[in-house]
Amino acid sequence: MSRVLVYSGLLVAAGLVHVAWLARMQISGAIMDPLLPIAVAVGILRGAEYGAAVGLAAGLLQDLLSGGPLGVNGLIKLVIGFASGLFVRSIYIENPLLPAVATFAGTLFGEILLAVVGQVTGLAAEASSVGILRAFAQAALNSAVAPFLFRGVKQIEFRLERPR
Amino acid sequence: MGELLLARRRIAIFLVLFLFVLVLLSSQTRTADRRQVGPVGTALLTALMPLQAGMFRVADAASGVWDTFAEIGRLRVENARLRTQVENLNREVAELREQASSAERLERLLEFRRQLSYQATAARVIGRDASRWFTTLVVDRGSRDGVRRNAPVVTPEGVVGRVIEVTPMASRVLLISDSRSAVGVLIQQSRDAGVVEGLGGGRLHLKYLSRAARINEGDLVVTSGLGGVFPRGLVVGRIANVIREEGELLQEAEVEPAAQLDRLEEMLILLPRQ
Repeated sequence: MSRVLVYSGLLVAAGLVHVAWLARMQISGAIMDPLLPIAVAVGILRGAEYGAAVGLAAGLLQDLLSGGPLGVNGLIKLVIGFASGLFVRSIYIENPLLPAVATFAGTLFGEILLAVVGQVTGLAAEASSVGILRAFAQAALNSAVAPFLFRGVKQIEFRLERPR
Repeated sequence: MGELLLARRRIAIFLVLFLFVLVLLSSQTRTADRRQVGPVGTALLTALMPLQAGMFRVADAASGVWDTFAEIGRLRVENARLRTQVENLNREVAELREQASSAERLERLLEFRRQLSYQATAARVIGRDASRWFTTLVVDRGSRDGVRRNAPVVTPEGVVGRVIEVTPMASRVLLISDSRSAVGVLIQQSRDAGVVEGLGGGRLHLKYLSRAARINEGDLVVTSGLGGVFPRGLVVGRIANVIREEGELLQEAEVEPAAQLDRLEEMLILLPRQ
């Protein structure tokens, strides 16, 4: 229960920072998204199902706060969180570059997924795919913050796992 | 076996969540606004909106502070640019004023030259005497321009002096205020004759004036034409102070030069008649 509360608090804080502060600082049309590296980090550290759950929660929160249709970001982050849990199992987990690389790849994958979802659901106007440059800028921004968020999530997990 | 069960469980959880979000998404796309947050979403938004608004205000304040600093930086750069511009414009104004002043002087000189019944050439000062004892000028006209030794030098205001040295391209002018200078003069009104000598430092002294001569302060002193250097009738100056000493046969006077001898820039050199 405490894990749910801690992650809820973390996601709410990250989501608010995203819409209130980071949305004001665009670089090449891209906005740093701290929710995606959190989903990736949970996937890496706790496994695919946790990554999927946190990704879904993060995505839905993002949809709720951003004003778009509920589910677009939820679907994308669900898939990214799950995939990061699945693929990272085979990679050496202590590699310091892992969070950044996984987030970079996850962001690019998410941008492709966003375009597909937009086409399938007819929500292209709201969830239109960005240009390649913007997608890479987004990936670079997200992967820049990923090591710090990964360390934070790791710290949370360490404290939650510590015997009382 | 346990690993397989875990994998199946993992896939099952993912599929359940995936189906949930697909249903949610498809329900959203069917609504007119393509957004239906429902009671849970509304409750969440009700709780989060004040926080979001507060954070937005904090960001606004921080952005305002940042904008102020950025504005200060921009203003500094603009200030430096404007200062440079003002300096350049001041320089330009000074140059234009100088040109206007020069044009005005030359215009007066030209007008004066038209009035003269002598041939004359305009000359510009290119050097001043560095010594305290002698007051001479160097001008940019010489023998190539027809200038000869002892040629009178005048301005529209009055007599300046005479040429004492001539080179092909420049000449030296001895000012009437030099102690070596002596000019035969007349008091314009009374027609009494005398000699104006230089005292140095821009002062002139009128000598050899008959005690019977009726002179007053302010009387105009003009060249007499005697002596063969200066033609008759050129203004030398005005009587500034009359000196009559007891028992002397002659009287003397201080004369204020008509030409501004310490500010000469352009002048006319009278040329000998052809």
